[in-house]
Amino acid sequence: MHGRLSRRSVLAATAALPLAATAACTGGVEDNTPAARGGSGGRRPVRVTFWSALRGSQEVVDAFNSTHDRVQVDFQQIPSGGQGGYAKLSNAARAGNAPDVATIEYPQVPGFAIDGVARDITDLVGDDLRAKLLPQAWGLTSFEGRTFTVPLDVEPMVLHYRTDLFREYGVDGAPATWDEFEEAARRVRDRAPDDRRLALFPTDGMTQFAAYSWQAGARWFDTSDGAWNVSMADAATRRVAAYWQRLVDADLVHINATEGTRHTAQIGQGQLLAKLSGAWDAGAQMNSHPGQTGKWAVAPLPQWDTGRPATGTHGGSTFAVTKDSRNPEAAMEFIAWQVSHPDALRARLSSGASSQLPAAPELIEVGREAFDRTYYGGQDIYALFRREAEMIDDSWTWGPRMTATQKVMQDGFARVGHGRGSLIDSVRQAQRGTMPDLKALGLATTEHSN
Amino acid sequence: MSTTVSATTGDSRPAGPARAPATAAPPASARRAGRRRLGACALLMTPFFVLLVAVFLVPVGTALWLSFFGADQPGLGFGPERTVFVGLRSYTAALTDPTFLGGLATVALYCLLYIPLMVLCALALALLLDSGAVRLRAWAQLSLFLPHAVPGIIAAIIWLYLYTPGLSPVVDLLARADITVDFLGINAVIPSIANIAMWSNLGYNVIILYAALQAVPREVIEAAVVDGAGPVRTAVRVKTPLLRPAVVMVAMFTLIWSMQLFTEPMLLSQSAPLINSRFTPSMYIYDAAFTRNNYGLAAAASVVLLACTIALSYGVTRWTNRADTAEEAAR
Repeated sequence: MHGRLSRRSVLAATAALPLAATAACTGGVEDNTPAARGGSGGRRPVRVTFWSALRGSQEVVDAFNSTHDRVQVDFQQIPSGGQGGYAKLSNAARAGNAPDVATIEYPQVPGFAIDGVARDITDLVGDDLRAKLLPQAWGLTSFEGRTFTVPLDVEPMVLHYRTDLFREYGVDGAPATWDEFEEAARRVRDRAPDDRRLALFPTDGMTQFAAYSWQAGARWFDTSDGAWNVSMADAATRRVAAYWQRLVDADLVHINATEGTRHTAQIGQGQLLAKLSGAWDAGAQMNSHPGQTGKWAVAPLPQWDTGRPATGTHGGSTFAVTKDSRNPEAAMEFIAWQVSHPDALRARLSSGASSQLPAAPELIEVGREAFDRTYYGGQDIYALFRREAEMIDDSWTWGPRMTATQKVMQDGFARVGHGRGSLIDSVRQAQRGTMPDLKALGLATTEHSN
Repeated sequence: MSTTVSATTGDSRPAGPARAPATAAPPASARRAGRRRLGACALLMTPFFVLLVAVFLVPVGTALWLSFFGADQPGLGFGPERTVFVGLRSYTAALTDPTFLGGLATVALYCLLYIPLMVLCALALALLLDSGAVRLRAWAQLSLFLPHAVPGIIAAIIWLYLYTPGLSPVVDLLARADITVDFLGINAVIPSIANIAMWSNLGYNVIILYAALQAVPREVIEAAVVDGAGPVRTAVRVKTPLLRPAVVMVAMFTLIWSMQLFTEPMLLSQSAPLINSRFTPSMYIYDAAFTRNNYGLAAAASVVLLACTIALSYGVTRWTNRADTAEEAAR
């Protein structure tokens, strides 16, 4: 009996020790900030370590290393956040050996900032870099006037759809509103073979659900008055939940996970006629289903109110200089190049697996030229992405423990997939499962609409 | 316990009638022997106490400390940390967290299913082995015990393979007979986990009960046979009541083990979406510490789980003791 309990406690204790140790370290490191000294003379390059799960990162690093002498980057491809990448980063930070530069997606930025993994880089970000990137993107990585990470891309959610199958089942073009989307879903269910549906409600899709809610005007977290004001089941979210619940109940959409072989098969075999995801997904789609060349197109996300078009974001990454970095200036030099230099974007797109929309508007033209349009039948998808990016509602804030919030919500969605509970219950559960966490961390909180 | 008793009797016997003067003024040799014995006691028990302190008391102390102190950042949490006494804040958070309470409920449900099943099956098998009905007893014992030698992680992986539709030959066979079973479905998840635990631990508990059966006096059983009791009646009416203390022990160990259910659901959760990351209290604690970086909450939940385990164990002991005395009084 004692064996198991105490082992756990020892784990917690040993895990806590380096935490204290690294906390002590950071002070020392900051004293050393003119650490780029080795490189300025041009004798020995400053080495910067970089972790990322993003496609095309190796190409970007190679391009950087071949054009820079003073700073050289050692790149390590790590699993994506949900697959263990974030755990790896947290554990490394706890042990005091996090890489100089880490990749953090928008939802996790507040959490890593609160935990002290992402360094406060307000003073490291130069004015020209700040001016180059979209202010909405900076807004998602800055809190209380301090900036914690640098945005790489901004990913408006769009509708990817099969033009050939749309035609076959008599759906005339991409639905412009959610009502039309529902109508199209009904048409596909009635006319297509039994395993074909218009779209999927992803049971592992908190980020998709958040994007729908974001578009509808929800604000799950709000940081006014110096507190985390949590309101996940607000009116806009309830509307979105009710809509998708209706589609699920009427068997108008598939409901399963996007991770795993089932979803790949659904796309490969044309069981899904449309995908609702970020702009980046166009590249991923090209890469994983090369046989479907010419069959796909991209359209704006359906709207609630065409008079006031809006969209949310799905995906998108940022770069942090970690607390363990001994060369924050060199790390920032690499980050600045990566997010704002045309060569960086060209290198990333050369991998053929990316279609990210850069957070630096002046790079969009570069992406537009570098992107191979044949898969999308010549459609200028970057022009569409740019128009969509302008409609992103900038009032959204992610919460301080988004990975945990996400897990609880998706546990609920998975149950809905098995016919238990409802989508809005899942959202409420996520809020209820998040509040104790925030309170136990000692954060100031208020709770609404639950 | 028994060693102390024999030591005292061994000591008092040679003293015999001269006992009073001996205690008043023990001879130097006896005192030396006493001291030597004390030294041996200390030497032999030190490792136990060292381990008790190092792997139980210190971690429990650390957990208690972690649960009452937090590295707080005021407001939104982006400021510098400072360690403060937070009182019962972490406990309140854990006890108001529906996912933690849900985990406790899951384990309670699991215990209700698993403990009676385990005790009954182990008892039945032990009685069967003891009755001589099983021919190759040594082989039967070995094959029952073998799964216990398989580490829990491996066991979970084996069963995950057997449970997963598309991979599992069992699911395939059943499907061919037109029976669809989703072992990881919403109603089957807890029984599926209990099944893994049964497979792993049944042999061990059978051995305990079988060993206890060997201590049942043969003359009692012979008397029962002479009185005309058949093997079933002997097993149920004579052997089982005599096995009571061992059965209680098995139930207690099973309870404590179940309260800390972790390995099996943790592994199954990788591919069973219905087993979430906070499915049991132990998984909640792991999740709180390692995905939520919330040590105060994890420590508080650990202490709550420890308290529950101690309280339940104590409750079981008290209840059986009282039942024992009541029974004796009835005789």
